Amino acid sequence: MRPIETRYARSGDVRIAYQVIGQGSFDLVFVPGFISNLDLQWEDEGYSRLLKRLSAFSRLILFDKRGTGLSDRVDTHHLPSLETRMDDVRAVMDATGSGRAAILGASEGAPMAMLFAATYPERTRALVLYGGYAHFHKWVMPPERLEAFIETAETSWGTGATLPNFAPGRVDDTHFTQWWARFERLSASPTAAAALARMNAGIDVRDMLGTISVPTYLIHRRNDARVDPDASRFLARKIPGARLVEISGRDHPIWTGDVDRVADLIEEFLTGEPAVADVERVLAALLVTRIYDTARLGDRLWSERSLRFQENWRMLVGRHGGRVAGTHGELMIARFDGPARAVRCAALLREAAQEIGVASAQGVHVGEIEVRGPPTGLTARVAMQLAAHAERGHILCSRLVAELAAGSGLHFTDAGRISLDELDEPLALVQVTAEQHLEPACRPKPKPAEPATLTARESEVVSLIADGKSNAAIAAELELSEHTVKRHVANILLKLDLPSRAAAAAFSARHAGPDGP
Amino acid sequence: MLTKTKTVDGAAIKKAIEGRDGKLLSSFYTDDALVRVVDRNNPPSKPREIRGRAAISIFWDDICSRAMTHKVDTTIAEGDNLAFMQACAYPDGTKVVCAAMLELKNGLIARQTVVQAWDE
Repeated sequence: MRPIETRYARSGDVRIAYQVIGQGSFDLVFVPGFISNLDLQWEDEGYSRLLKRLSAFSRLILFDKRGTGLSDRVDTHHLPSLETRMDDVRAVMDATGSGRAAILGASEGAPMAMLFAATYPERTRALVLYGGYAHFHKWVMPPERLEAFIETAETSWGTGATLPNFAPGRVDDTHFTQWWARFERLSASPTAAAALARMNAGIDVRDMLGTISVPTYLIHRRNDARVDPDASRFLARKIPGARLVEISGRDHPIWTGDVDRVADLIEEFLTGEPAVADVERVLAALLVTRIYDTARLGDRLWSERSLRFQENWRMLVGRHGGRVAGTHGELMIARFDGPARAVRCAALLREAAQEIGVASAQGVHVGEIEVRGPPTGLTARVAMQLAAHAERGHILCSRLVAELAAGSGLHFTDAGRISLDELDEPLALVQVTAEQHLEPACRPKPKPAEPATLTARESEVVSLIADGKSNAAIAAELELSEHTVKRHVANILLKLDLPSRAAAAAFSARHAGPDGP
Repeated sequence: MLTKTKTVDGAAIKKAIEGRDGKLLSSFYTDDALVRVVDRNNPPSKPREIRGRAAISIFWDDICSRAMTHKVDTTIAEGDNLAFMQACAYPDGTKVVCAAMLELKNGLIARQTVVQAWDE
């Protein structure tokens, strides 16, 4: 598959970056919220999942609004009106040859999408608004809170400091917070971010809602942290024939939380057919890590250590090519492509737990899991039960794991069988043993070379190097060609296993006798 | 508009597709026609099915709303069966090729199977 191409449409004097993906029979234009970056969004698992789902039934057209992401910057002293920005949608549609499209507006993208639908009904197939609103101050934040938000943006933009305003459920996810910080930096500069926030604060499209004549579908999360769900309830009352679905969740960005639920609703509304349940299953190795407190640390110390361990867990899972699949309290589930990686990661997690001062017990199992959502099927339940049965510091695996990891250099010992209600036969178990080294872990340091191995001439050269003389000076003093001196120096460094002239000089100083080295 | 007494033929299809005339295309189908599309996202065991003239009309309206070129190259007719090849291009150069097999009933399209491939 060729990489996704980013192209630029011209909207007046401004270039708008866009991408087109998918082969559906109708077009779907995604109008993003506050900030976006066409390249970066593919690096987030939730974002790319959403885009892949949408592009499976449509020809999906993505763009960065003017002033954000890969599109041209705007003059922060002369901010464009909502009408001008809305016209960017038309420019992108023209460039992609889209005569008529369904418009999906998310968050701040919703007012733009509504304005587009009201202005160009003949080019709007349908309207889908996620977490949208018609009036910023009424449903997003009042003027005084906006000033505080802008101050945060101006002082700590690029650090991910705005994340709690959008997705409070992800603030403990270090991987995501790092992504969010990059998302801030690559989507807008600090000045532009503050200007965009002010520009969005001026949004009020309440008067035109009654003129929207296209089929409209509204989705809002019941506990949305950024936009009050009342915003969509108002839209549902004012837009003729609009239908509202409230779903659970509090994280605001459309690519966080239960992305599949959002995609299901959009697909069903736009295609008229329920999304075909995605029953794709893949083979995966699951590692369940359980940590617990044996030292009676007290709540505060325990929660600090638990958090520290979880950070380590995310980092180590990532480093072993695994994916963090979810946490249930002190139970952490990670998914790997192969069992050896899962076991190696488990071994390092055991060390991390020891260092941090928490007790760990882990289980590894291999089996099919559903691609969609966190692993909840039989494979996950078995892995969790293995972690529950494992003793402190142990890594308990099904024997299948050991069989599949043959040749990996990992060592296992038999650990009996376990009867699980859901399995017809007892499951054979193995335990991971500490790595056994056939050779000592550290090689003894080679004995330092003796100066006696140098020839008389080489010894002379070394002492002249120690005097700080250049090759040319040494050549003159010893009546040799410079080329020969160079060869002597190279041989000296080789014999003494030294990296540089300076090292040779230091060596000479260490070994200097009354008559030189 | 095609009258029901006239049989759909290759020339009519070519004219409607190349002219991006969704309304005319929809009028070629029986009320309960079935169009099946097989492509990357809709594999042979689970093709996309568009049932009835109303849904087929939306399908063609969507496709004909795109500012792209369509060319119908080859049409083969045999009794109540019709087949044609179609080459399409988007403004950005993306090419699509479709092969369609049609079954006619009383001169209108009752069943159509489309297999398509996109540049990617």
